Amino acid sequence: MKVPVRWLKELVPNDLPPAEIAQRLTMAGLEAEGISEIGATWDRVYVGVVERVEPHPNADRLVLATVNAGEHHLTVVTGAPNIREGQKVPLALTGARLIDGYSDEFRMITLKPSTIRGVRSEGMVCSEKELGLSDEHEGILVLDPDAPVGVPLRDYLGESVIEFEITPNLVHAFSMVGIARELGALIDAPVLLPELADLEAVPRDPGLVTVEAPDLCPRYVGVVIENVRVEPSPEWLQRRLASAGVRPISNIVDITNYVMLEWGQPLHAFDRRFLHEGRIVVRRARPGERIETLDHVDRELTPDMLVIADADRAVAIAGVMGGLDSEIRDDTTTILLEAANFNMLNIRHTARAQRLRTEASSRFERGLDPNLVWTATQRAVALILQLNPEARVTVLADAYAEPRYPKTVVMPRAEIPRLLGIDYPDEVVLDVLSRLELQPEIRDVDGVRSVVVQVPTYRSDINIPADVVEEVARIVGYESLPETLPWGQTPHVTRDPMRRLIADTQDLLVAAGMTEIITYPMVSDDDLRALAPGAEAAPDRYGFFARPELDLVTARNPLRSEWTMMRPTLLPAWLKNVAENLKHSPGVAVFETGRVYLPRGVDELPDERPTLCLGFAGERHAADLYHRARPVDYFDVKGVVDALLPRLGAVDIVVRPITHPSLHPGRAAEITVKRQPVGIMGEVHPVVAEQFGIPAGQRVAVAEIDLKALFNTGLSDVELRPVSRYQPVEQDFAVVVDEAVPADAVEAALRAGAGPLATSVRLFDIYRGPAIDAGKKSLAYRVTLSAPDRELSENEIQRIRGRIERQLARQVSGTLRG
Amino acid sequence: MNDELEQIRQRAEQDLTAASDSQALAAWYAQYLGRKGEVTSLTRRLGALPPEERPAFGQAVNALKTALQESFDRRQEEVRRAELTQRLEAEAVDVTLPGRAPDIGTLHPVTQMIREVTDIFAHLGFQTVEGPEVEDAYYAFDALNIPKEHPARDVWDTIFIQSASREIVLRPHTSPMQIRTMEQSTPPVRVVVPGRCYRYEALDATHEWHFHQIEGLAVDERITMSDLKGVLAEFARQIFGRERKVRFRCDYFPFVEPGVDFAIDCMVCKGVGCRVCKGTGWIEILGAGMVHPNLLINVGYDPDRYTGFAFGMGVERLVMLKYGVQDIRAFYQGDVRFLAQFNRAAA
Repeated sequence: MKVPVRWLKELVPNDLPPAEIAQRLTMAGLEAEGISEIGATWDRVYVGVVERVEPHPNADRLVLATVNAGEHHLTVVTGAPNIREGQKVPLALTGARLIDGYSDEFRMITLKPSTIRGVRSEGMVCSEKELGLSDEHEGILVLDPDAPVGVPLRDYLGESVIEFEITPNLVHAFSMVGIARELGALIDAPVLLPELADLEAVPRDPGLVTVEAPDLCPRYVGVVIENVRVEPSPEWLQRRLASAGVRPISNIVDITNYVMLEWGQPLHAFDRRFLHEGRIVVRRARPGERIETLDHVDRELTPDMLVIADADRAVAIAGVMGGLDSEIRDDTTTILLEAANFNMLNIRHTARAQRLRTEASSRFERGLDPNLVWTATQRAVALILQLNPEARVTVLADAYAEPRYPKTVVMPRAEIPRLLGIDYPDEVVLDVLSRLELQPEIRDVDGVRSVVVQVPTYRSDINIPADVVEEVARIVGYESLPETLPWGQTPHVTRDPMRRLIADTQDLLVAAGMTEIITYPMVSDDDLRALAPGAEAAPDRYGFFARPELDLVTARNPLRSEWTMMRPTLLPAWLKNVAENLKHSPGVAVFETGRVYLPRGVDELPDERPTLCLGFAGERHAADLYHRARPVDYFDVKGVVDALLPRLGAVDIVVRPITHPSLHPGRAAEITVKRQPVGIMGEVHPVVAEQFGIPAGQRVAVAEIDLKALFNTGLSDVELRPVSRYQPVEQDFAVVVDEAVPADAVEAALRAGAGPLATSVRLFDIYRGPAIDAGKKSLAYRVTLSAPDRELSENEIQRIRGRIERQLARQVSGTLRG
Repeated sequence: MNDELEQIRQRAEQDLTAASDSQALAAWYAQYLGRKGEVTSLTRRLGALPPEERPAFGQAVNALKTALQESFDRRQEEVRRAELTQRLEAEAVDVTLPGRAPDIGTLHPVTQMIREVTDIFAHLGFQTVEGPEVEDAYYAFDALNIPKEHPARDVWDTIFIQSASREIVLRPHTSPMQIRTMEQSTPPVRVVVPGRCYRYEALDATHEWHFHQIEGLAVDERITMSDLKGVLAEFARQIFGRERKVRFRCDYFPFVEPGVDFAIDCMVCKGVGCRVCKGTGWIEILGAGMVHPNLLINVGYDPDRYTGFAFGMGVERLVMLKYGVQDIRAFYQGDVRFLAQFNRAAA
């Protein structure tokens, strides 16, 4: 809301600079978003009086105007059609900075002396556009007759305008009077309320107004005003509306807008000629009923919308916008002025449905005080009579079935220190609450010493004791609160084990050289389809997760078509990230720990499973002095998984080959921990990689691990084994097996044979070639043996070798090579 | 006889001095002290001597042997040292060549900030808990004193989830966990809740539809707004520097009363006013306030007995302020050249 400071100071006289007003109100809850200065550039522009207007000797359309601005007295050439002797006008002297009135763009010029058709002009009389007040450039700006001649225009017309953001609770502050009340309370200054008309004595003519929907219209006041003349508003009124950001139209409409800005109560004026039978009916719209509103849009109404109708048809959408054919015209002489209170939810609903948010609807939506209706009527009538002293006023109706009265709120006196942690003296509490017009008293209520306040109906935000505490605190100032730390017992220490698992995972992967990414958790159907090479339908697996039978978690109002569903796998976003990073980096090593969202049923919240996606693409390690770069492959991702899982406490980790729609058919594996599947890993199928924009030929290896499933396997803590004091023994075994035998089976046989004395089993070479039979491979292992309590004897070592040999023969049909 | 021994000794000492590497030393040893060496062979002559001369000769030969052995040991040590020195000199490298650095990755700046903030609050006795992102509208709005059609629901332009009869949303803030936490425990309650949030909002440099918040909640018998101020000041000074001034001003959120906007003095201009703080000298960090009694009632706490404070902050905003990140979208574009810059150990 735009608040012109001159206007505000008229309501609360004070001499605070605008910045301080803005700051004080901001601290108290009315946030000032900025201050704009009208007239900041008006150097060398003064209020002048036109003494003489003479024809230009050499031009029909130009005149010579002699303008007296006190110290400055000069004759200027002007083409303004509206200039008259005796007018007060803005006079710019050479050197003044003005806006170019003839340019469509906003362009500043510096006024220079010029000779126009042979007559020298040392200055200029200005239009509104040239002064930056509006786009108006048809004629000069004519000031009020009482404008003081000779003073700088800035002092007379300049204005600081503070723009406030009004939070939804502060209905009362959405008006000049409301902000004046706030400021008055803050600086302890009286508020001078504007003059109101006394309507008690005016004639009444009931019977023409019917409120058929009192549930949606708690109050309706209709006033007929005859014998008005529609014309432009006086300059002061136009100026004030313009400074508050409202375009002046004509006196009647301007007054309704002015009262809305002043009091926060929207009003509407109809031309009574166009109200059939002169009647007003407040009712729900009929099915299919239409209205053309002031913005020239033909609108269809529905029966849940409230309308103002005459005897036959809707003439306004209640609280939102008036109808076009009953609007005030130049020849209007009798108006029906409407002031009403409407149901906030209904107005909100209608404004949304019509996509029509107006100054009026945005106020009604917040829930206005029905008692404001009468005040605003009084104020509008006063202003209309001020401008049309001949007008006759008749009150048609004040339909107000259930009047609202001030309410009493009782706050235990101790509530202030209980909530704030600081107390203020009774006098201070009573003083600030009085300044807020809450009529506070301190007395016992049910044996409790209490502050009792009477809340005016315009303060709908004060309902409970905590609200009163806030009033006290914000007017005294939140800066009065000390900084303390909570007192008392702290809760028992519980640490979320899943959070720790995730943090450990992140730390290990960072230590392993990987960069963490966070991606958007929504995907599209296309993303999921792209997970299968060339498939028409979605694949049966989304990364590690089986495709759910239920519909995925889907947005009703997706922001973009690429974000329609909560992801069932991290894979698509990970692949897109890799594609992006490969554009500028030869190798990518990134991971994400985020949730996937697995549906549990319609109307059920989904299973949000913490999940890990990690992998590599392009080159592994940048080429440097010591390494050559090489393409990423399956074993890069498996190596990290091999290192990671045991450190997270996983035991009995088994990897077996699988076929997976998104992975290389010969390089894809499932990971199980204690026989429970926890993840998949492999090289990404080249066609899938390509669908995500990864250039052909770039290898990508990825793993997706369900951290919840991993956690559920029961992760174990460290099991400490004593370090042997005796020398370990290393034994090498070259095991010849069929090509098809997987390495982990050979290792398992070795370990079975070696028994608990084996402290490490390490594969260090694979041989295929002439020294062994075709279709076979030789795996060379180094087994480290160590007993905690003795040196191993040659005898013992031979026995172990023998056991290993037997296990290899039995489990994998392996033989030892000489 | 003794002359001969003395001659051998002198010759041997001379040869030893001349031996300057391990090989020469070995040759010397073989020549004099080895099994067939000159000194060793002297003892063989013992038998040829008359018995009365034997002891003296034997002693002389042994003395010579001992002396030469000592000289040899000394010389050998000298030579070894010299050889080592030579080898080490030959091994000199350009110490400025790049080392064999292990790859070390980086945590996402949002993760780092969440860890930093939750760690600070952990020291103040706040436990870290998480909650669902796909949330029931009851927890996201109604229980938080934001009834249907309340104008305050305008503030959260929400992404809704397809459902049949239950209103389900992507949570627009982490505040639902205030209710869930209180429902699941009894006072004293002290938690912080990091997590993702979603808004139906067009993206630009300062607006994301997907972002992270950290919610805080403390409920007990004597929790006050001064405690809130103290806790938030402590937090802000940990993150943004000990010298920070803090500002509490009145603000409105439906789930607190009184409500607070919490700001710190601008660390760029030190409160004078600049572009970062939009000329105000203050930077708004988070919204906070005393838990609205309606929330306590909604979870079955006695509002006459318990009070509480709550706060909620945007994680990306904290990172942006701390490191001068200009565009919030950078966090989720995932460019490793951006992310890898957040590579300092504990800030």
